[in-house]
Amino acid sequence: MNAMTANIPLVSIVTFLPLAGALLLIFVRGESVRAVRAVALAVSLLTFGLSLLLFFGFDGKSGLPELVEHAPWLGRGLDYHVGVDGISLFLVLLAAFLTPLALLSSWRAVDDRVKEFSFFMLVLETGMIGVFVSLNLFLFYVFWEAMLIPMYFIIGIWGGRRRIYATMKFVLFTMFGSLLMLVGIFVLYSAYHRVTGGFSLAISDLAGLSLSPALQTWLFLAFGLAFAVKVPLFPLHTWLPDAHVEAPTAGSVLLAAVLLKMGAYGFLRLGIPLFPQAAASFAPALSILAVVGIVYGGLMALVQKDMKSLVAYSSVSHMGLVMLAVFSLNFVATEGALYQMLSHGLSTGALFLCVGILYERTHTRLIKDYGGAAARMPVFAAIFLVVLLASAGLPGLNGFVGEILCFFGIFTSNKVLAALGVSTVILSAAYLLWLYRRVMHGPLKDPDSLLRDVDRRELACLVPIVLLIFLMGLFPGTVLRKMDASVSRYLDSLRTKAPVSLTWKPAARIARPARISGDTAGPAHLVGETER
Amino acid sequence: MTTFMALAPLLAVVSGALAALLFEAFLKRKDHGVSAMAAIISLFTAGFLIVRSWGLELAYFGGRLALDPLALLLMAVFVLIATFVLLMSLEYAPRRDINLGQLCGLLLLAVSGLMIMVSSTDWLVVFLGLEVLSVASYALTGIRRNDWASSEAAAKYFLMGSFAGAFFVFGLAILFGATGDLSLAASLSGPGGPAGSPSLASVFGLGLIVVALFFKIAIVPFHMWAPDVYQGAPTPVTAFLTIAPKAAGLVVLFRVLTPLPGRGGTPSLLMQAVAVAAVLTMFVGNLAALRQKDVKRLLAYSAIAHSGYLLVAVVAGDGTGLVFYLIVYMFMNAGAFGVLAALSGRGEEHTWFADLAGLGRQHPWLAASLAIFLLSLAGIPPTAGFLAKFYIFSAAVAQGHVLLAVAAVLASLIAAAYYLKVIVAMYMQDAELEPVLDRENPALHLVIFLCLFGVVQLGLWPGNLLTLIRQAFIALF
Repeated sequence: MNAMTANIPLVSIVTFLPLAGALLLIFVRGESVRAVRAVALAVSLLTFGLSLLLFFGFDGKSGLPELVEHAPWLGRGLDYHVGVDGISLFLVLLAAFLTPLALLSSWRAVDDRVKEFSFFMLVLETGMIGVFVSLNLFLFYVFWEAMLIPMYFIIGIWGGRRRIYATMKFVLFTMFGSLLMLVGIFVLYSAYHRVTGGFSLAISDLAGLSLSPALQTWLFLAFGLAFAVKVPLFPLHTWLPDAHVEAPTAGSVLLAAVLLKMGAYGFLRLGIPLFPQAAASFAPALSILAVVGIVYGGLMALVQKDMKSLVAYSSVSHMGLVMLAVFSLNFVATEGALYQMLSHGLSTGALFLCVGILYERTHTRLIKDYGGAAARMPVFAAIFLVVLLASAGLPGLNGFVGEILCFFGIFTSNKVLAALGVSTVILSAAYLLWLYRRVMHGPLKDPDSLLRDVDRRELACLVPIVLLIFLMGLFPGTVLRKMDASVSRYLDSLRTKAPVSLTWKPAARIARPARISGDTAGPAHLVGETER
Repeated sequence: MTTFMALAPLLAVVSGALAALLFEAFLKRKDHGVSAMAAIISLFTAGFLIVRSWGLELAYFGGRLALDPLALLLMAVFVLIATFVLLMSLEYAPRRDINLGQLCGLLLLAVSGLMIMVSSTDWLVVFLGLEVLSVASYALTGIRRNDWASSEAAAKYFLMGSFAGAFFVFGLAILFGATGDLSLAASLSGPGGPAGSPSLASVFGLGLIVVALFFKIAIVPFHMWAPDVYQGAPTPVTAFLTIAPKAAGLVVLFRVLTPLPGRGGTPSLLMQAVAVAAVLTMFVGNLAALRQKDVKRLLAYSAIAHSGYLLVAVVAGDGTGLVFYLIVYMFMNAGAFGVLAALSGRGEEHTWFADLAGLGRQHPWLAASLAIFLLSLAGIPPTAGFLAKFYIFSAAVAQGHVLLAVAAVLASLIAAAYYLKVIVAMYMQDAELEPVLDRENPALHLVIFLCLFGVVQLGLWPGNLLTLIRQAFIALF
């Protein structure tokens, strides 16, 4: 942490700047659409700029949360406590990076009630960032739930034909999971009070509690349900295709890129560290569900007629891989899962943007209505191909790094599941490339020549993502090195808390990274290997 | 300290009520503003006296009327809600042939009954307060004499209320026979003093009294009157009825039932019955609300469900949570009914889902306010409703009632579904009808704004209020 950023509450500023922008928007006249858009975009860009300061201010050597701010809020352990560590930092960056692009992408798609739309987008950004930076369980829950409301409005007001059904299903599904988590929070709260006599909901304090196995099981189920709905883990995924298909492009982008990550993040931050024994005993079952999700999502994606639902099911499949890696509970797999979360966020976000661009021109998302679009949209075709290949995991692009780390990690834990999980590579290549062939090649089905190539605004949306896709594919070390210490601290804490057996396999087979002593020599070495 | 000053807030309200009624009856010029002014002045005076009495522990009538901190807090709530209702009625009443002067008088009488209820530790005085409240509320419900729904609601309320009153007296008789004492504290102590186990007869008597109170606060299965009454009464009166009697009844319940757990035997059976009633109330209220087409009736059922949540606080013995929830509930419910009152034009009320369609476009401020009140009622953070639920449910878990908390959150999920349905209508559907709106109604808009402020403020920085409530309970026990 350098001296300049030491004294300003940077994390809070990044979290609440979008909210402040949203409140500012109330006072902008709704009729002046340009002013509204400009303010919203400026605020979100400024937020992204400040979040880059987070990135550079973050040291990452200790593995502990940095840039921590702690202030009493409601008393009795319900404190304001935020900070970033290697696990959350990049998810904050992802949210801050994609929100301005999502806003920019809707300049044509959303022309009704622009002020409200921008307002909800900015509130949503605060909610998303807040979830990732919270270090207090109460604060986490507040952001986790509060974030549903802007998304509820975004899908419900600017969505497609079945938007009301989709948005109600989305909110009620998610809320069902999180309300049981709320009871779990109460139990932890009173357990901490019984054991220590004090009040605290700080995640680090709660992780210090040693809970009985039975209690852990119940609590893990309560928390796990909330996160599994969000991921979504098969068979709790049914809200996702509806929500994705009905949401406006900007909503789909943030839903797929950031909101789904919250589920996996919840497991990494809360579900597994707070209840390690229960997590270890449920890992096999959850891994099997994850594999089912991988295969099921992939097969469903193959048969979709609608481009958006194809991308939605591909998310189910890819997030299945992330969950499988998370539950392998070893270093390489966990880093892989985190990296894959970022890659998936970028490439799926970009895929939704691409589908949105096509939809804006032709007002159809059915694959059969397209064909030969590459001829009319050469620039778009190139970008679309890059994005598809990134999603399919082509070496040199970001998807590959995440997937290969995931598979290495999963393989050391369980070879059978790894073998089944690898099917995602084949399946995603199949449905994505087939999509490309049907939409972009073949005879031109565009009699009215609605298909114009991308304009400058759309390029401005897509090019940053494409650049990042390449950067993250070619130089993964920059990202991974900042994660290393946090990830190994996370795994160490599991080991010290659950000496019995960390995974369902004999303890000897847990892949342990080279012993880390303060610096990150071990994992960096591992990363070096994958890069080659 | 035994002093006549203990009666001062009560007397201020009663004299205000009488003044309002006398002005209404004898003033030549039919200007209801005079009555309303008298009522508002008396409410402000009462509020001032309540604040002055804080920390003085005033009592009168041999301690039978005691202004302990809990009573003072609740009295402040009653004064506040009565002020809100008055402000809401200023324009609402004349447009619907409601006699504002009578409304003011009856409202203040009801408030005086509520004040007696919460400040007494003697069953007979509690009953006195309850009856004063009840008679005033029957009349308030039926105050639109030309409206059949209002009259029907009043008749229903009167019949069911009298029934409940009979239960109360019967229980009181048994309790007095069993213990020879009418104080709240004695009703659970056995023949051998406070430590002894209460006799079966006194528990039975207490059970009957609890049933009577359940009637008053609309706990399932004694809730049948509530939806019709809440729907039939004029909207400001509904706001009052869904909040104030509930608060008083729950505080009386809390005073008598909290010492119960740990006694074992029959009393704990009574507590279990209360827990079951809480679960039933939450689910019946919420499931019924899910099917409503009229937002006012929907809020009526939601009011029943909220009685269930509040009962969870009683079961958990969490007084702080109970009072905090009551205060938050006052703001969010009064606000929601305030918006409904603003949507009603002359004559008929316009509170169907179809009437609300497209409101987000036509009246963004009103719609946003209602949306925030509904989200708060649904318990979604960062509103005050979430925090209130958080405290109550976490207290229940801390007392070991985990299943009760699970039932409560599942009921909240059902509730979220119908509150969101209203928001769907306002924001996601287009208007079919031109909304009828009271444009010139600054008093009503002031109430909505104050409620909005309360909901947001208490959701984010409730610190001072919580400290105050906690102080009250430290002083009490």
